[in-house]
Amino acid sequence: MTVELDQINAIPAFSSLLPETRLAISRRAFIRTLPIGNTLILEGAPAEYGYFILDGEVRALRMNPEGRIQVLARFSVGDPLNIISLLSKDQVNRATLETLSPVTLLALSAVDFSQLTSIYADFSSLLLQFFAERLTKITNLAADLSLYAVRARLARFLIELADLTPSPSGWTQDEIAAHIGSVRDVVGRLLRDFEAAGLIQRQRGQIILLDRQKLMAAAQDQDT
Amino acid sequence: MTETTLPIINPLLCTRCSLCVTYCPEDALRMTDQGPAFNHPVTCTYCLDCEGLCPTGAIRAPLTVIWKDQSSNHN
Ligand code: SF4
Ligand code: SF4
Repeated sequence: MTVELDQINAIPAFSSLLPETRLAISRRAFIRTLPIGNTLILEGAPAEYGYFILDGEVRALRMNPEGRIQVLARFSVGDPLNIISLLSKDQVNRATLETLSPVTLLALSAVDFSQLTSIYADFSSLLLQFFAERLTKITNLAADLSLYAVRARLARFLIELADLTPSPSGWTQDEIAAHIGSVRDVVGRLLRDFEAAGLIQRQRGQIILLDRQKLMAAAQDQDT
Repeated sequence: MTETTLPIINPLLCTRCSLCVTYCPEDALRMTDQGPAFNHPVTCTYCLDCEGLCPTGAIRAPLTVIWKDQSSNHN
């Protein structure tokens, strides 16, 4: 089954690909849809498919050395999934992927993925761009970790989420912690501190930001 | 978000360890063949304890972040 070129073009990063590369992808790819709360792939299983998100959100989970699940990251429209696992020597899924909403994915088998990377140089370059972006994110986070206190990183991220329009879907404490380079318990404690200081109010399923100025001041806190 | 917003349980990640059922402070959950289910949904206070306790990440209690002037639109 081939995928319509329109669906290929819906992935913003694919606009840089040559028409013949997009055609080759459309001939090899297929569409997968999953409901919310579904497991797309399991950590440790053979890496059989790579994906690009056409619609919806996904999170990556990994087992830590204590045997507890840890949230690694969240992904949304346009993001590639499981590519590192496919390109690694052992071809094993590096993480479990769970859907956070109904999701539509463009799927490519490991074999097709490997053929596309070896035949189409622009496809390989695009993957390098994705890796460069991820590396930049990690580098920025590392810089933030050394520059700003976790309190500041949390304040900044809360402002960022609240300023987004339309409002993004909800984030769990673990997901927030993974994004700002901290752990769930610390995020929980800081949210309680923010609430006690009148910066936020928490009510069922919501964090309501009350005071932009105070939160901005907290976001500049360099006391790491 | 409404008064009935509840944590989401992914049965595929659940190992039926019962930690969430045992430690829910409101006794809102019960164990079924398909995993934990809401016994008394109205008693769930969205305290996030079950999400923090679950060793497999099977429970998700998302939080929406909004400014105060937006909150009236979301209640
Ligand atoms: S959020 Fe709290 S009250 Fe609701 S089911 Fe979980 S532990 Fe029980
Ligand atoms: S704590 Fe998690 S794994 Fe254990 S029964 Fe509850 S949902 Fe399932």
